[in-house]
Amino acid sequence: MQMMFASKGRTLHAVIVYFSMLFAMFFVFICAPNEKIQGIVQKIFYFHVSSAITMFFAFFIVFVASIMYLWKRSDWWDAVAFSAAEIGVVFCTLVLITGPIWGRPIWGTWWSWDPTLTLTLVLWLIYVAYLMLRIDIHDPKRARFAAVLGIIGFVDVLLIRWSVEKWRTLHPKPVLIQEGGTTGLTSTMLWIFMFCLGAFLLLFFYLLRERTSITQSRHALEVLRQEIDDLLAR
Amino acid sequence: MKNFWYLFAAYSTIWTILWVYIMHLSRKNKELREELRDLQARVERVLTK
Repeated sequence: MQMMFASKGRTLHAVIVYFSMLFAMFFVFICAPNEKIQGIVQKIFYFHVSSAITMFFAFFIVFVASIMYLWKRSDWWDAVAFSAAEIGVVFCTLVLITGPIWGRPIWGTWWSWDPTLTLTLVLWLIYVAYLMLRIDIHDPKRARFAAVLGIIGFVDVLLIRWSVEKWRTLHPKPVLIQEGGTTGLTSTMLWIFMFCLGAFLLLFFYLLRERTSITQSRHALEVLRQEIDDLLAR
Repeated sequence: MKNFWYLFAAYSTIWTILWVYIMHLSRKNKELREELRDLQARVERVLTK
């Protein structure tokens, strides 16, 4: 009975994610106004910034789950940290690709070794290293090393946030909440952006749920396989 | 419609990467189910011995 409800909950979650992403696309392409200076290319902002915030959130989950794993030594926290890191890398990849696509017509260049862009690339490399350390092998020693990397890596997230606000970089200053608490977006742009962000966070939680379940099942299978091998060897 | 292709490229890339990742998860799920079936068969073989 519990499994049936879990399965129905997953399907409902997937359906909600699917329709919210479709509506997000509809709002961006049909309802969002064209920005006066940047024109149509500004519409990349809705998914680019949503991906960036989702990526920060994913790496924050890695940070918290890694601390919890080192403290409690629970496999569940390890599975959550690993899954959030993998999903965070996917969203970081989206940020690193859509940023230069927006930058080419606006800045006139695909890439600049600007602090914000460079720190984002470093962040991607840190968490790719985290995933390479783990792959799908469940080894407590590797899990501990990865947890430490997951905690240290989060410092880069704070540096990126700080670089956007305080450093004089090519990357635009935050438009969502500017100094003094005002927003640089029109009301239509703002609600469409909030909708896109909501859709991305729903997608993140769906992916996290699926990935954590796969990681835990794989670990349980490995343990079971080992037990059967031991029984057969006797 | 100036710069439309940049917009098209950005959104196509987003959807392609998300699609590839979801397919990757789906493949992993399928592999797990196959492994579980294999394990069940092994358990049955052990029990019938």
